[in-house]
Amino acid sequence: MSIYKPSPISRRSLLQSASAGFGYLALAGLLGQEKARALTGKPPLNPLAPKEPHFTPKAKRIIFVFMEGAMSGVDTFEYKPELQKNGGKSAPGGGTLTASKFSFKQYGETGTWFSELMPNIATHADKLCWLRGLHTDTPAHPQAVVQLHTGSANAALTRPSMGSWLLYGLGTTNQDLPGYVTINPSPNFGGAVNYGSAFLPSHYQGTRLTDQGYLPNLKAAAANGLQRKQLDFIQEMNRDLAAQPGAPDPVDGIIASYELGFRMQDNVPELLDISKEPQHILDAYGVKDGPTGSFARQCLMARRLSEAGVRFVEICQPGWDHHNNLNKGLIDRCGSVDQATAALLADLEQRGLLDETLVLFGSEFGRQPTAQGPDGRDHNITGYSMFLAGAGVKKGFSFGATDEFGIKAVEGRMHTNDLHATILSLMGLDHERLTYRYAGRDFRLTDVAGFVTKEIFA
Amino acid sequence: MKRIRIIKMNRFQLPVFALTAAALMGHRAVRAEEPEGIAFFEKKVRPILSEHCYSCHAADTNASGGLRVDDRNGLLAGGKTGPAIIEGDPENSLLLQRVRHGNAKRQMPKEGDLLTEEEIADLTTWIKDGVAWPREKIPASIGRVRADYAALKTSHWAWQPLSKPALPSVADSNWPLGAIDQFILARLESSKLSPVPEADPVTLIRRITFDLTGLPPTPAEIEAFRKNSSRENFAMVVDRLLESSQFGERWGRHWLDVARYGESTGPSRNIPYPNAWKYRDYVLDAVSKDLPYNRFIQEQIAGDLLPAETPAERDRLLTATGFLALGVKDVNQRFKTRFIMDNVDEQIDTVTRSVLGLTVSCARCHDHKFDPIPTTDYYSLAGIFTSTDDCAGVRNKMGGGGLDYYDPAMLVKLATEAPEPPAEEVARLQAIVDETKKAWDAIRGTPEGLKPAANGKPTQRPFRVKYEAARGDLLALSDPATRGYAVHGVREAKKVGDTEVRIRGEAERLGPTVQRGFLTAFTMAEVPAITPGQSGRLELAQWLTSPANPLTPRVIVNRVWQHLFGVGIVNTVDNFGVKGDQPSHPELLDYLASEFIGNDWSIKKLIKTIVLSRAYQLGGEAPAGHQEIDPANRLVWRHSPRRLDAEEIRDAMLASAGRLESKPSNGSPVRELRMVELRDNGPEARKIQEQAGRGLSRSVYLPLLRGLTPATLEAFDPVQQTLVTGQRDASTVPTQALYLLNSTFVRQQALALAERELAEADRDEPDWIRHAYLLTLGREPSVQEAARAEKYLLEYESAYRELQPDTSPRPADESAEPTAEEEPVNPDDIDRTVALVKEDVVQPKTPKAAAWATFIQALYASAEFRFVR
Repeated sequence: MSIYKPSPISRRSLLQSASAGFGYLALAGLLGQEKARALTGKPPLNPLAPKEPHFTPKAKRIIFVFMEGAMSGVDTFEYKPELQKNGGKSAPGGGTLTASKFSFKQYGETGTWFSELMPNIATHADKLCWLRGLHTDTPAHPQAVVQLHTGSANAALTRPSMGSWLLYGLGTTNQDLPGYVTINPSPNFGGAVNYGSAFLPSHYQGTRLTDQGYLPNLKAAAANGLQRKQLDFIQEMNRDLAAQPGAPDPVDGIIASYELGFRMQDNVPELLDISKEPQHILDAYGVKDGPTGSFARQCLMARRLSEAGVRFVEICQPGWDHHNNLNKGLIDRCGSVDQATAALLADLEQRGLLDETLVLFGSEFGRQPTAQGPDGRDHNITGYSMFLAGAGVKKGFSFGATDEFGIKAVEGRMHTNDLHATILSLMGLDHERLTYRYAGRDFRLTDVAGFVTKEIFA
Repeated sequence: MKRIRIIKMNRFQLPVFALTAAALMGHRAVRAEEPEGIAFFEKKVRPILSEHCYSCHAADTNASGGLRVDDRNGLLAGGKTGPAIIEGDPENSLLLQRVRHGNAKRQMPKEGDLLTEEEIADLTTWIKDGVAWPREKIPASIGRVRADYAALKTSHWAWQPLSKPALPSVADSNWPLGAIDQFILARLESSKLSPVPEADPVTLIRRITFDLTGLPPTPAEIEAFRKNSSRENFAMVVDRLLESSQFGERWGRHWLDVARYGESTGPSRNIPYPNAWKYRDYVLDAVSKDLPYNRFIQEQIAGDLLPAETPAERDRLLTATGFLALGVKDVNQRFKTRFIMDNVDEQIDTVTRSVLGLTVSCARCHDHKFDPIPTTDYYSLAGIFTSTDDCAGVRNKMGGGGLDYYDPAMLVKLATEAPEPPAEEVARLQAIVDETKKAWDAIRGTPEGLKPAANGKPTQRPFRVKYEAARGDLLALSDPATRGYAVHGVREAKKVGDTEVRIRGEAERLGPTVQRGFLTAFTMAEVPAITPGQSGRLELAQWLTSPANPLTPRVIVNRVWQHLFGVGIVNTVDNFGVKGDQPSHPELLDYLASEFIGNDWSIKKLIKTIVLSRAYQLGGEAPAGHQEIDPANRLVWRHSPRRLDAEEIRDAMLASAGRLESKPSNGSPVRELRMVELRDNGPEARKIQEQAGRGLSRSVYLPLLRGLTPATLEAFDPVQQTLVTGQRDASTVPTQALYLLNSTFVRQQALALAERELAEADRDEPDWIRHAYLLTLGREPSVQEAARAEKYLLEYESAYRELQPDTSPRPADESAEPTAEEEPVNPDDIDRTVALVKEDVVQPKTPKAAAWATFIQALYASAEFRFVR
């Protein structure tokens, strides 16, 4: 039985069909212009048009559910019987082992363990694909967050973000919408770097939205009829210019960009307006007003954006940095995350979207099984987990493991570079071939490292 | 007198020495490498460190206090409380003081057993004997000259000496106005292409005015040039523009792109550089005064080492070194050695790509793959920068907040002395600081302090806020830096010397030491020798700007050419290496570079020579046949249209609306910021963004905090302020359309101009329209265009009367006021749902004004507005 009813008209088909409007290549002379641009090393006029992947992709889109601040694994998804038994004793690497205060039990046919903090996500136990042997380089949030998003914590050279690389490599299918959206991203920890395009052309950067759907300059400055009148006037001038001998190449593109921008004024707010969702959907996600409903709104917006063809959507729940107030803090944060994330997975599945959408869930690193202060855990970069779900990955599968206490990854170790290589591969891109020449060298999301973990592929 | 030395020989010999006798490694390193010492370390010392210390103080831990003990340099550099070890001096080594018994509060290790007396004795011996540490196994490749380098050095065009090309002969001897035209025409003739006719005066005056000043010509200037567009008059126009202060603002901005100028550290914790604007003003001033380019480079790299006769001149020269200091810095880096080497790398990259067009940074970890730049060359340069204090005013620290990253000692004090602050007030504030610090220290980290208060935040939180605020108040009054008497720049380090190759670029893995020096990719007859006891920056500056340096003049001449023609003679302006572009006109490039040196490295003379050529003044037509043969116009058969830069688009709107203001009196709003972390939508950032949004000064003066690009620039590809960027993008995306249609800024300027026009009572409608076209597009409307505009205005006005104009507040206006101005205990606590800035409401007073405002806005929004042709 499901609480999800299919909507009568697929919003996806509606929005995706609207994308024919851009019609770049239909315009006379553009092919020649693209040729000229290629000769001067300039990017194509429509850099966001869909591109051929390197090989058949397993997933078309990504939703990245980012738990900023480093969620404690041993209290949520990592059941460690030895830790539970040995609380209070010395840990091998120093410090005092601290058993989780939360009880764990097994779910699904796979018998995957979840703590009582995650009862809803647990119902999807047999769909998830766990990466339990992750490790990264820096135990500081700012660098680790930046590394998770851009592949490198090297601050001297800001790198393009994962979503930008995907847009650069694949383009996007719905030209009426940004191809890369990030909702409520971190204002610090690298800030805009985490969705920036760095040295890639700027149209590959992420579009930042708030969970209220605010996008600068999106609201029409005048009533529709009036603005159309003004736009017609602008476009007449533009067409005059385009017809002149020796007109600047991009004028045709400018004409098209105005039509797209004008349509976006209606399309995007409509797409982001979750209030029109049926009540049972709103309830399933737990949408409510105010800050406590933020994450649920983001989840629902993510589904709508992804459904409309946005290549990469990231949503963000901060507040996991539990150096203190661990137990209450976890109850609070899990309360807002568990239900909405579970609803997102169910909703995607219900709409048949989970087969083509890859969901990635997790933090920049994990937390120690040892105590910090009376009620806290410190950062752990040597072993932590994330889960994937949906397109291209095995269901009810677990890859890699940390040691008996959850200190260090001992099996199926995956560095952030390996995670990125694997994600690109799922999207049909070879991380060693997805390069961009800048400052005299070819850059990659994975720098000079990264192995694809094929073991998790469905 | 320069002392001359052939460094090449030494450099080739180096690996032999390094690998056999360690003769170049200096006194301490030799002692630290004796086999007995190493054996003692491995047997006695390393087990102590690994058993007692590694779990908190090693590379893959959270390195408490920023100290790591698994690296010799880590121990010597130390952590928060200073060096852990002083070589040969156990008594003064913090490490020993901490592990000795009887110092309960600071006793180490914090967990586990204390060290035995025997262990302490071993540590003492080890420190006394010079801190022996096994050296890295040095890869055989280090110091071995790659086989292909010799051929690369002789074959690649860019590192050959400047040639003195003869002027080529041309069939049409009437066409060239000078040498440039002769080179251009010769290539065109050999490709059977004829250049198009020259541009009409109206096009040309708009082109030259934007190119030289970044602003549109006024209607009067257009009219005057239309009446007299003789070559003599054009030359006078060029002189007028070159002498204007707007020239410095436009061309200074070009250099700021290359200098990756920014007013904060950038990722991953963004700390402001409150005095960075002084460097910006230095650049604008230098460009305005046409400071010879060689001198300009020397000042930015070694201004502190150049003589100065007055305090004001000294300050100017100190400010110039901001070039080296204002890069991206990762203050959150845990380890000082890495922080230093990352910053050194950033400086090497900036200097070599901006001045030489070479990607030397690639050689940080391995020999350059394409260009003959061995990794030993990289560390020859690195030694110069490790001998230099990078005084950006920040220190590295992991975690932390507030003023933790601010290090006033690491700023360059200006020669002009700050007046003494009132002693009484300082004493009063100092007392408050002491008191609040005591309270904060008492509660900090205690169970009581960590207990959540009613608002969910730890009880200790307000104590810290009070302490930080008191410190800020005291600094504002007493700190010369905060008061503007210090700048971000560089100075000679206390300890000056050569540095080691870092194996695979890892800061801790030391290879052989290499002598400081310069690149060996090309040879120069005279290479300045580094003065003993100095960093070598002065000599680096001399080497870079030597007339014999084949790259420096070519690179800058090519940058200038690109700004005037849209494409450089070498398309890859920042990369003249093997993987860079081949010059389209190699002889012309060398001719211009030689002339440039002969003209005392004058940028203005170079520009004048170029713009007075016929090649620059060509029209924009594009005959189909030409397009087929040379679609990219590399041969310059026409003048390619250029998309205005973000700054030009904004400035042109302000200028046409008559609202453009001159330089802001306070330098930059960033100077008001304290050196605490900035958050994208925190209150400080929002305030700066709002100021930027309302500012009416030229765009070059807008605050440029990294990652917080002003919204009025964002849509049109402003420069990423992270790395040397000699070339901007010119993308076409719908966010530009949305910005032009809906943004407050654009509508404000449109309304301002509309109201100004309508207030001209002695004009009639056609006059207004004509004037609006001249102001915005730099030309008069055609008869059809004028008729279309009149029709539009009429129809819009009546439609506006009918349709209820949408005056509902914009989303940004609805946003809640930011509540707490205090910085949150945890960055997570920031409410991310608020809009970035509060925007003004733009509301025309009458339907006529509304129609006119949208008409002006349409002119701004037209594709024509954003191109010069």
